[in-house]
Amino acid sequence: MAAITMERVSVWYGRVKALNDVSLEVEPGSVLALIGPSGCGKSTLLRVLNRLVERTPAARVAGRVLIDGHDILAPDVDLALLRRRVGMIFQRPVSFPFSIFDNVAYGPRLHGMKNPHQLRRVVEGSLKQAALWDEVRGKLRRPAHGLSGGQQQRLALARALAVNPEAILMDEPTSSLDPGSAARIEELVVHLKGQYTVLIVTHNLQQAARVSDFTGFLDRGQLIELGETSQIFTAPRDRRTEAYLTGQFE
Amino acid sequence: MGGLVEDQIRRAVRSLADHDLVVAREVIRDDDRVDRLESEIERNCLTLLALQQPLAGDLRVVSTILKIITDLERMADHASDIAKVTVRLADEDWIKPLVDLPAMARLAISMVRAALDAYIHRSVEEAMAMIRLDDDVDHLYAQIFRDLVDLMRDRPETAAQATYLVFVANYLERIADHATNLGEWVVYMVTGERNELNT
Repeated sequence: MAAITMERVSVWYGRVKALNDVSLEVEPGSVLALIGPSGCGKSTLLRVLNRLVERTPAARVAGRVLIDGHDILAPDVDLALLRRRVGMIFQRPVSFPFSIFDNVAYGPRLHGMKNPHQLRRVVEGSLKQAALWDEVRGKLRRPAHGLSGGQQQRLALARALAVNPEAILMDEPTSSLDPGSAARIEELVVHLKGQYTVLIVTHNLQQAARVSDFTGFLDRGQLIELGETSQIFTAPRDRRTEAYLTGQFE
Repeated sequence: MGGLVEDQIRRAVRSLADHDLVVAREVIRDDDRVDRLESEIERNCLTLLALQQPLAGDLRVVSTILKIITDLERMADHASDIAKVTVRLADEDWIKPLVDLPAMARLAISMVRAALDAYIHRSVEEAMAMIRLDDDVDHLYAQIFRDLVDLMRDRPETAAQATYLVFVANYLERIADHATNLGEWVVYMVTGERNELNT
């Protein structure tokens, strides 16, 4: 079964149709990169998956979205639970004004974990998975804001991982980072592959090519083409994908 | 580079047919020019890959160029090999009239020409039509080989020259194979499909 299935999903912001009849499936444990020009709907697509899109005034969603077979657009869906199962990393790292430890422990505590030993174990495990542990061990009580941008982005990833999600959404996760920090995030994505389903929106085509198994190209709210990354980047089938990848503008 | 290589093959074959040592030595000398062009184009392609990071159709163009310059360089090597046979056989009369060998040479050269045209026109049809000619080259090669082996058996004193002529036929057959590769790369460049088209 696909980890994520979208069936004929459309999104409107007021009268503007931001996503137009998109259907796709994402294999469990794979990395799907979403590429396309600004305003093509790729960030909207991500935000449908954790229902963040509804926070935009006048937004309306149609279609069906299944995560592990469960319809997440159903009215009785517990949003806190959904966002535990589907973590998200944003373009600018978001850290809460707490200590490093409390940032990572935030999610598990919210979901009822109280045992300090257990919390410590989860925090350490998540920081290790996010390749941040070696840099912050012994400084866990310091404020998260003291970390560099790249470290804060990995902290955000640790925070997402701490609640043991099934999928991780990344919206241009490296665009505010220097090349070295960006490379570390990319390495992490490749490392997380297999364990988590990852959807990554990026304007960096080389990054999409490096980290993803599958790539989807969106244009004006439509999913033009989705295929194996190697195929999309060497021999796309649709001329619009070709034009975008080779930098031809209409 | 394509034009130069085509010319090298043409001149090498002519030098052999005419016992023309001057032309043969030119061909051998000009092989260096082909090698220099190959490394220059290769360097330009690598710079493009590093600085422009081409994708999709652009990536296929650059990778196709990287591949076909190797085939072209190998063709030029074989032209030079044929010119060296000219030098070896300069003072000898032919053991038999050269008929099939020039026919095979014409066919191989026409394949090279057609492959380069297909590349320039980005034409799958032209590439496919050219690739089909390779079978004719293979038939001619088999026939020339048989004839020369028969000749060597009947008149052992012809063995030395006949062996060189077998080499020449073999070089021409290789040239046609490299031309076929060119055609296959043109198909890839245009369609993204990488298939052995002549197996």
